[in-house]
Amino acid sequence: MGKTIIPFGPQHPVLPEPLQLKLVMRDEKVLEAIPSIGYVHRGLEKLAEQKDFMKNIYLVERVCGICSNMHALSYCMAIEEIMQIEIPDRARFLRVIWAELHRIHSHLLWLGLLADSFGFESLFMQVWKSREKIMDILEKTAGHRIFISTNTVGGTHKDLTKEQQKDVLATVASVWDDMKAVEKVFLNDYTVQHRLKGVGVLPKEIAYELGTVGPMARASGIVFDHRTRGYAAYGDLEFEPVVETDGDSWARTKVRLFEVYQSVRLIREAIGKLPDGEIFTPFKGFPDGEAVVRLEQPRGEVMYYVRANGTKMLDRLRIRTPTFANLPSLLHMLPGSSLADVPVLILTIDPCISCTER
Amino acid sequence: MFDMIGNIVKNLFSKPATRNYPFAIRKVPENARGHISGIDPEACIYCGICQRKCPSDAIVVDKVNRTWEIETYRCIVCSECVTVCPKQCIYMDAKHLTSSTKQDRILCKGSPKPEKVAAPKAETPKPETPVAETVSANA
Amino acid sequence: MLGNVTEISIDTIINQVHQKKDEGYRFVSMTTIENPDLTIDLYYHFDREYQMENLKLTVDKALELPSISKIFLAAVFVENEIQELFGVNFDGKVINYGGHFILSDADLENPMCRKQIVIEQMEDN
Repeated sequence: MGKTIIPFGPQHPVLPEPLQLKLVMRDEKVLEAIPSIGYVHRGLEKLAEQKDFMKNIYLVERVCGICSNMHALSYCMAIEEIMQIEIPDRARFLRVIWAELHRIHSHLLWLGLLADSFGFESLFMQVWKSREKIMDILEKTAGHRIFISTNTVGGTHKDLTKEQQKDVLATVASVWDDMKAVEKVFLNDYTVQHRLKGVGVLPKEIAYELGTVGPMARASGIVFDHRTRGYAAYGDLEFEPVVETDGDSWARTKVRLFEVYQSVRLIREAIGKLPDGEIFTPFKGFPDGEAVVRLEQPRGEVMYYVRANGTKMLDRLRIRTPTFANLPSLLHMLPGSSLADVPVLILTIDPCISCTER
Repeated sequence: MFDMIGNIVKNLFSKPATRNYPFAIRKVPENARGHISGIDPEACIYCGICQRKCPSDAIVVDKVNRTWEIETYRCIVCSECVTVCPKQCIYMDAKHLTSSTKQDRILCKGSPKPEKVAAPKAETPKPETPVAETVSANA
Repeated sequence: MLGNVTEISIDTIINQVHQKKDEGYRFVSMTTIENPDLTIDLYYHFDREYQMENLKLTVDKALELPSISKIFLAAVFVENEIQELFGVNFDGKVINYGGHFILSDADLENPMCRKQIVIEQMEDN
């Protein structure tokens, strides 16, 4: 039997962003898969060297639409580390609240796309109906549904009034109820289990060696979550990482679903402990030095390297996003799987190709 | 398998979650940043701070001719100009906009600065009441 | 500031990286910067239990470096990207995209590096 090469092309109904895989197949089994990217490269790292370092906050936010707030947060934290600026307590808690709201909307988007990838359209629509509630509360509190632009060097621009805090709590309570109703379908439904259990198993040693991060690593048994280090206000909140040991697609679904509940708990606790005070520390001057900052985005660990030389433009801004670190695991999972499982496997790494290519 | 069936039956008999768009338009919340709708040409001092702070270079201020222009398609609606304006005279509007076929620029022109007349004695002459001209130009 | 930086040279790269793998470190990324004096700084970032260790290497532009993708498979994508954006050649990569990983055919050569352009004055006729 000869081999055929099927291009799992850049445009595909199941992919949120363009990614090409050349699948070398024999009958229905995949023998080899080589990913190729480069369809949405915008050269943002070069552009960041030519703009004022304060204007870069808006540039960096637009690297990705789904994890945008945390890109701005990492950049602000890197500049604050170089310039040794202390931010007030209220700003730390506000940053956590908006970051967790973004994590909820990112995981709900992924859960909907996963249901769509094996054809379960009504589950997809149910989950995205809940996601709209989060987008509406972001618009009410910060002004925009996606690029909320609340972080700045030295704190945050915007504050949450008592009314807005009550709205946030009511919204996340209603999202909790929606997800409880849908949890039984994701975890116990017969057809869903058939498509997810035992598919794409990644053992713990191989996951560590390939450098996987985020929910993919946590579903294989590696306890690795940067929020336990206690940056922003996470040190003052109670937090335990969600870890599963099976390593297949069903375990990754369970990890992301339970992270939605964990984010709701974190938001409730952060609003309960929100201290009074200023939200912004003014500063003067330009940054000079280099720093590395690592954060937990919805998809995993993001690393920012910033080098500045005392003028208003930066020397270098380097972003290593979590999907870039999860791509090598495709090289391990795809060979040996059948063609019908390829969309599900690609979606379980949570591909955010615009982050990967910047 | 039967969990979704209860959900589907409930959805069959309740009203749809979507809106009948051209006939029902969504009410936008108060805090929403919609788009920049213009400035107050009288209050503006044409200092140019908004032009320097704009991340995408969408604003052009001419101090000599007293004009303020914004390219609405370049604007990323970050509201930096609104925050840094010393006279707080830039306005944002969250009204719903439909699609347009031409690129839009908003041009605001203030009246010329009244000349300083050196008054030798008591009475200073009253400056004429300025007339505001707001021109919305379709480029 | 950047802590835990060890300066290395080209001959010792493979040994140092092997040592990191034996000690149980995980590969994070590589960062490349062009200095004002036209040399290139290359950082290798590793991590174990939330502690980062960095190896720093300073080279001239047109040199060839050994690839570490046989030791850490995760490095293969980063090395292809650095080769395209900065022009630093890596020898012996496991998957070689040959200049088509992230840039398209119509893009400039090595866009992240500085280029020197010489402007000649035309004589007036």
